[in-house]
Parts: sequence; structure tokens; C-alpha cells
Amino acid sequence: MTAALEVRGLKYALPADGRILVQNVSFTVGLGETLVLLGRSGSGKTTTLKLINRLLEPTAGEVLVAGQRAAALESTRLRRRIGYVIQEVGLFPHFTVAQNVGLVPRLERWPADRIAARVSELLALVGLDPSAFQARYPHELSGGQRQRVGVARALAADPPLLLLDEPFGALDPITRVELQREFHGLERRLGKGMVFVTHDVREGLLLGTRIGLMQQGRLVFLGTPGEFRASTQPEAVAFMGAADEAR
Amino acid sequence: MSLLSFYSRNTAELLGLTWQHVYLVAVSTGAAIMVGVPLGVALTRRPAWRAPVLGLANVFQTIPSLALFGFLIPLFGIGAWTAITALIVYALLPIIRNTYTGIAGVDPAVREAGRGMGMTDRELLRLVELPLAAGVILAGIRVATVVSVGVATIGAAIGAGGLGVYIFRGVATVDDTLIMAGALPAALLALAADAALGIAERRLAWQR
Amino acid sequence: MAAISGRVLLALTTVLGGCGRHDRIIVGAKNFTESDLLAEIVAQQIERRVHVPVERRLHLGGTFVCHHAIMAGQIDLYVEYSGTAFTAVLKHPPVADRDSVYRQVANEYSRQFRLRWLAPFGFDNTFAILVRAADAGRYGLKAISDLSRVAPRWHAGFGYEFLERADGFAGLSRVYGLRFAAPPTAMDLGLTYRALAEGKVDVIAGNSTDGQIAALRLVALEDDRRYFPPYEAAPVVRVPTLERHATLARALEELGGKIADDEMRRLNAAADVEHRDIRTIAHEWLEAHVP
Repeated sequence: MTAALEVRGLKYALPADGRILVQNVSFTVGLGETLVLLGRSGSGKTTTLKLINRLLEPTAGEVLVAGQRAAALESTRLRRRIGYVIQEVGLFPHFTVAQNVGLVPRLERWPADRIAARVSELLALVGLDPSAFQARYPHELSGGQRQRVGVARALAADPPLLLLDEPFGALDPITRVELQREFHGLERRLGKGMVFVTHDVREGLLLGTRIGLMQQGRLVFLGTPGEFRASTQPEAVAFMGAADEAR
Repeated sequence: MSLLSFYSRNTAELLGLTWQHVYLVAVSTGAAIMVGVPLGVALTRRPAWRAPVLGLANVFQTIPSLALFGFLIPLFGIGAWTAITALIVYALLPIIRNTYTGIAGVDPAVREAGRGMGMTDRELLRLVELPLAAGVILAGIRVATVVSVGVATIGAAIGAGGLGVYIFRGVATVDDTLIMAGALPAALLALAADAALGIAERRLAWQR
Repeated sequence: MAAISGRVLLALTTVLGGCGRHDRIIVGAKNFTESDLLAEIVAQQIERRVHVPVERRLHLGGTFVCHHAIMAGQIDLYVEYSGTAFTAVLKHPPVADRDSVYRQVANEYSRQFRLRWLAPFGFDNTFAILVRAADAGRYGLKAISDLSRVAPRWHAGFGYEFLERADGFAGLSRVYGLRFAAPPTAMDLGLTYRALAEGKVDVIAGNSTDGQIAALRLVALEDDRRYFPPYEAAPVVRVPTLERHATLARALEELGGKIADDEMRRLNAAADVEHRDIRTIAHEWLEAHVP
């Protein structure tokens, strides 16, 4: 079975001054697997994510999504096959919840009744009552509700791969824990490949089937949460220390 | 009141000149929208063009209207089309500038989400950026229209007709009933355009 | 309506008027070069002969503005044209008897407004029917009556004043039997010169003393049927001002008859075409002609 995502020797240097932000990053994410990219601010996690869906073009290396070379696809076609969730959510303020969730199916020219059915199904999946929410506008939602809509929107066209960039980072602690727990349940039911960026080590250990630790643009550790806890890699130790302190 | 009796005696002429005035403003503003909005969009895609294009539009804006009409005579002759050209020149700056600022003001997260979901630049523009910037763009169109109603009165200086005819005639013959006969409906036109576009603008402005 | 804006203007000029009226004479001018030039000549003449400070309020506005300013006492004098005063201020229909215009205007101003007309400068700044010199040569045009031959193929552009005035286009076309290819285009007077020079129209009505006529290679056609009334320029002065300054009238009468049509065109050209300072032009002219 092909992996949802395969990344080989990824490198990114800023076009302006050649400064290297990411280099020599390789990993594979299977279906049903969640790779958590953990690291400090500026370690290259978000850049790596954007290199996967080609919001940034890699300087070197290769990305395969469901076995297909990303570079060979038109970037917009590629992105429609990859769900994308960001911290600021980025819901379209002039679209209703239903229009936001149904966006990619609409771009893909699905028939209207199929879009409507899919929207209802997804809203229910992320814990929002479709009849109560689909006609609302984003400004009528709470932060947690917005992020649920953001996840539903990313899942709309049933992509094999989901990229999540600190999706719960801007939420209050209670809502965050609630959503983490629900998302954890969702991961198993969906069976998709996911790459989840966070700097919160406890979130990473809860949600990741594997942890990839990034430091100064390199992947310095890759292993299961158990291996991460036991690791003697200095950056991993530093992160575990922070997690223990917070406990 | 002599203004009322003037209107009652010259109703057909008043309506004719008002129609010419509306025509000058509508055609020029329409053309300025068709040129200005795409130009404003282009500036958001090509930041290097921004300073020169806005700078040039700004310079045009500062040319006194009678002088501009004068400059255009050798190029376009006299009459309505020269006036329309001058009005387009004046209307461009607010439309280009507001299109640019409206689109540049769209939340970057919204734009990133759109691109990340696989919208093409065209789709992003049509479905997201232009609708979200519509209120600001319309505000620019509104300014352009109100300015045009005023500047169009100068069109009478080059034989373009419009309500300025009464004003120029009144000034030339020292007759302020005539001046008012042109100035009053021109002011009412400006107020009406401002109010109508103001309502449209409020409807299109997206509150978060 | 006239009364209302007249009052507004009066209030405005009162505000602008300031104080200390008695120790100086205020000279106004209409808003075109010739009026400014004549006002400057008048001002310098007063300074030389009457020895009181002169305040200049040049380029004030049209006939309307200047008339209201002098009536409100915000200026003491300005240069007006007999024909303009006759039709535009006194609202008389144009007359057949050209020679009586100045006399009649002077009489009525004195009775109605307590304003005195002094000696005219000597030139007649009448409407001039202008064509390009090249066309005049090609079609043998010397007088306005020659125009009727080519008019049906020509386009005319006239200022609003000329189109509206009782002594303007309506009478002209009747007296000379002129029919143009299309109704004349109504436009700004200044821009008609440009439109004619650029070949966008073929005939315009300018001012006979205009400095641009020679510079733009235009010629004025002779008014061979003596249609236009005379527009003799002369200082119009408030009677109280003349009474306060006993030597003022004599000083200004000295200028009477000193500027012929050609001379006025030359002075206008010095300002409009050569862009020389009007103070210098006025000073040099006074030194040379009124020593």
C-alpha cells in the first residue's frame, strides 16, 4: 500500500538571500498515521508543511502525495487533494458555514445536492449540528466552533492527506483540550495520513503516532511517542523537561 | 422666484442638459471602473508597479480641470469625448487606490487558507478578494462619481454640454439665476449619487 | 436671486475690505490680462501724480464682481468697457447709434450709482471675428461679410458670453446672414483660441485687442456692417473718492486717448505672449508716453 505522504531530502532556501530554512528532511506518513512535527518557533515546521502543499516551492528534494510526485502536478490540483488547517482558521467571512465547508467540492464542480449532503455529514463529524450551523456566518461562531468548521472544510473533498498547522494554538485551554480529545478520536475513524505541527509537546504526545522533532531546519529525531520520551537527544530532553515542569 | 419660473420655461432644455451630464459621468465612471479595477488588482500582484502607477494617477489628479481640458483639445478635439477622457483621468486614482487597498486589506489568513485549499489566483480573486474588498472598492467608485459630477460641469468649457452650460452662460452674462440653474441640479446629482452608492457600499461592507 | 448673491458678495467684500480707507486708493481689475494691465497703469499714474498709496486688487472677477465691489466701496475704481456697461450692467438692448453709448453710460452711472466715467483710453476692445491667417489667405477673407461664402462648410466655437449676449452671435448671424455647418460649439472663451489654432474649429469670436491674435497667426475680420457696439475702456471711479482727492481726476484724464488698438495689442502681447511682468510693462509705458 502506498504511503499518504513521502518526503525525501527536502530543502528550502529563501530566494532573496539564500538563507536555509529547511534541509535534509525525509519522512513517510502512512494512512491512519499522524506525524507530529514538534519544535520551537522558527525551527522550520511550518515551512516544511508549506513545502508539502507547494505554498513554497522546495529548493531540493521530493514530495510524493499518495504515490504521486507533487512537483509533477499543477499546484492547485495538488492542494485540492490535501486538507489544510491553519491556526487562524482563515474561514471566508462572507461565506456561510456550509459555503465554507463546501468550497473545494464546489471548485471541483460537484453537483449541489452532493455538496449539501457532504457538508451535513462533515459538520456532524466535527460535532456541529448541521441544521443549526450551516447557515451561520463565521463571525457568529466561537473560536472552537470556527476551528471545527476549519477541520470540516479541510476534509470536504476526502483528501488522503491532512496538513494541520497548530490548529488549536489560538484556543483557550479548556476548548483546546476538548478539541484535542475529539480530534484524537477522529484520527482513528478517518484513517488518513496527517502531518500535525505544534510546539506543545503534550499535544504532540497525545495526538502523534510518531514524533518528528525539528531544530534549526533539520529533523533531529523521528520515532514513536514512547521512543521520544526515552530519547537522550538533547532537544528532545529539553522538550520533555518543559512538559514535566508544566505538569 | 425666478429660478422656478426659469425652469418652468426651460424644462426641456434642463432635462436635456441633465441627461448629458448624467451621460458624461456614467460613461466616464464606467470606463474608469473597467480600467481602474483591473489595474488596482494588477498592483496587488505586481508590487513594483504600485509606486509608479499610483504616482502617475496622483499627478493627473492635481492637474486643474480647465487646464486638463485645454491639454486634451489638440489630442481629442472638442466635445463630449474629450470631456469623458478628462473625467476618466480624474476618476482613475480613487478607483485604483481603493481596489488596491481593499484587496491588500484582506486578512492574510483568509488568503492563505484559500490558496492552501487549491484555489487558483483567479478563483481567489473572484470568490474571495473582490467580494471582501467590494465595500472599499465601491467607496472609491463613490468618491470618483461625486468628483465627476462636479468636474463634468467644466465639460461645458469644451462644448461637451451638461449642466455646466448654465453655469458658464450665467458667469458670462452676469446672471446668477442661470448659474444657480446649473449649480443646483449638479449639486443634487452629486448628493443623489453619493447617497445611492453609500447605501450600496454599506450593503457590501463585510463586518467580521 | 441676483439680490441674494449680491448681498452675500457684499458681505464677503466687506469682510475682505479691512480698515484705514482714507489714506489710500484701491484699484480693482477684472479677471483678464488687459484689465490687470490698465489697472496697473492707472495705479502707477496715481502714485506718481496724486502721491497717495495705492492698493491693487487685480484679477477680481467678471463684470458682476467688479461692479458689486465698487458699489460696496471696497474698490475705488476699475476699468470698464462702455459696451459692457451698457448691455450687461444697465441691461439695455444693443443700439444702432454707436457714438452715443459712452455718453449714455456715463450719464446713467452718474445718476444711478454715483460713479464717474473718466476719459476713455482710446482703443476699442470689441468682439473680433477671428480665423486662421492661412484660411484668410486661401479664401480671400477680409471682412465678416466674406465669411458667408465659406460658413456652410465651417465650424464655429464661441464663448458663452458671445452666444448669450444681445450683441453677440444671434445678431451677428442675422446681420451677416451666417449659416455654419452645425450650430456653433459653446465653450470657454480662452479655449476657443486653442481650438482654432489646433484646427478643431474654423471661426471664433475673440477680443480685438488680444495679444494672442498675432502670436497664434490669426486674423480679425473687419466688421464691415458695423454690427458690434463700441467697447471703449475707461476708468470708472467713485464720486466720493474723486471728492477726497482733488487731483485724481486730472491725473487720470492725462491717460485719455493715449492707447490706440495696436498699442493695446502690443501691451497685451508683452504680458500674455512674452510673459513679462505687468508692473514693468506699465512702468515703461508710462515713462515713454506720459512723461
